[in-house]
Amino acid sequence: MDKNNFISIVIKLGKVDRRVIFLLIAVVVLLPLLFPIGLPIRATDTTQRSFNAVDALGQGDKLLLSFEYGPSTKPEIHPMAEAVLHHAFSKGMKVYIVCLWPDGQFMAIDALNAIAPQYNAVYGEDYVLLGFRPGGEAVVKGITSNLRKLYTVDYQNTLVESIPMMQGVNSLADFKLIFSFSAGYPGTVEWVQYGSDPTGVPMSTGTASIQVNEIIPYENAGQLRGVIAGMPGAAEYEALIGKKGLGTSGMDAQSIAHLVIVLFIIFGNITYFLERRRSEKKY
Amino acid sequence: MYTTEIIGAWFAVFLTLAIFSFLYKDNPFYKAAEHLFVGVSAGYWASTFFWTQIQPNLFGRLWPKLTEEPSGIKAAWYGIYDFFGWFHEGIFPGGGIDKGHELNLFYLIPFLLGIFMLLRLSRKLGWLARWSMAYVVGLAAGLRLYGFLNSNILAQVRGSALSLFDGWGTAINSIIIIVGTLTGLFYFFFSKEHTGVFGKISRVGIWFLMVSFGAAFGFAVMGRISLLIGRFYDLIQFSGSQYYHATYWLLALIVIILGFQAFRERGRSTEEA
Repeated sequence: MDKNNFISIVIKLGKVDRRVIFLLIAVVVLLPLLFPIGLPIRATDTTQRSFNAVDALGQGDKLLLSFEYGPSTKPEIHPMAEAVLHHAFSKGMKVYIVCLWPDGQFMAIDALNAIAPQYNAVYGEDYVLLGFRPGGEAVVKGITSNLRKLYTVDYQNTLVESIPMMQGVNSLADFKLIFSFSAGYPGTVEWVQYGSDPTGVPMSTGTASIQVNEIIPYENAGQLRGVIAGMPGAAEYEALIGKKGLGTSGMDAQSIAHLVIVLFIIFGNITYFLERRRSEKKY
Repeated sequence: MYTTEIIGAWFAVFLTLAIFSFLYKDNPFYKAAEHLFVGVSAGYWASTFFWTQIQPNLFGRLWPKLTEEPSGIKAAWYGIYDFFGWFHEGIFPGGGIDKGHELNLFYLIPFLLGIFMLLRLSRKLGWLARWSMAYVVGLAAGLRLYGFLNSNILAQVRGSALSLFDGWGTAINSIIIIVGTLTGLFYFFFSKEHTGVFGKISRVGIWFLMVSFGAAFGFAVMGRISLLIGRFYDLIQFSGSQYYHATYWLLALIVIILGFQAFRERGRSTEEA
């Protein structure tokens, strides 16, 4: 095969129907899910700092979790929510949950149903789900100033006054740590702006990959103590607490898919330059 | 045994595959799933907002549960409530709403503003919605101004300060951050032509921006692949015998119907030619 023929074939491959690429991506994601490889997972600094922030809390310390995601980002954020709940219940913390997204309430119920029974955690004594309130940053501001005014009942319409672990909890300042599981607005940014920064209550977060670029500056500036970034972050947190979950099992597929996409990008660029050089020669 | 879980699994598989079918081309399966998604989302949000905010926090403050028999104006006020209760006892249960609130008539203002917002649908009274919008815009602007000023300007400026004495790694990171921030800001300064030294500095800013866009693209890809993994998990799970192999059956059905449609379309275009 001469050089020109080879270049023609490469250029032709570069113009392959996009549906072929979709199919290839589907295959490289599916295969590692069916036949796991077990690639090693090492915690990055940001995940480690998130872990340290939660780990610094002890028995009976009040941890505020905020669920701001829905089914559309569940594969990324739910594993980290479950991992943090494992961590909190294993250390005997008091877990308080609020939701800035309506779907967040169902995600929280799902995560609690999966994790709380493993530690014999009792509703109202070890954890409480205050539920969803609409209003975004106004809700965060409300929790910061007077939580009792905003939440008079929990998600099951039980009066907050009658819940034992709500005694002495009146505002954000009563918590040791805020942890937001966020997929967008309202989410981590609003918690930083109207919750953590004004009160000085330390905060950490787990976010969808798409949001990481927006969140990292807050981490660099010390406004956040660590960030769990997407599914890889969840897998790293699972490795740190020693509990393999959905994050870990998705990492093989994630890594291989990334490799294939990188190869596609390189190949696409090569064909682009070859085609451009050929057309320059023509004229 | 067809339980709700199995029916739900079949439904979830069908909708997932219907959305995926768009990768082949736009088709009725995709359209149906898309419309269903939009409708269900809107209904779900409206219902959740009503039952988590309007009923407990608005009506609950205007007509809280009575602890004693009302008299005078209060009796008349609860007479209105009883009238509403005649239409829907679930929303307005007898004796007031027990959500731990006390009577606060100031909440008539948001109640009225809410009604004004709905009047947008009326041609004659639509102008009243402007009052509600003005309130929302003013509130949001005031609230956001404080948050951004404190957390996004002051704290970020403090965070990008040079830290030269905490080890080499931190010092180099600090220099990169400050150079990136300053050159990026230079790039967005449009009152002076980007030539000479100014142009060179703003060009460095472009490089930093490109690195940032690259990182954003990488994270976006990572996020999308994670979502794909999530859907594949469910498809794998629902392909099991306990779900009567929902994934296989529905995949075959959709492929056959789309294949048949493509075959018919090709036949038609050949005839026309």
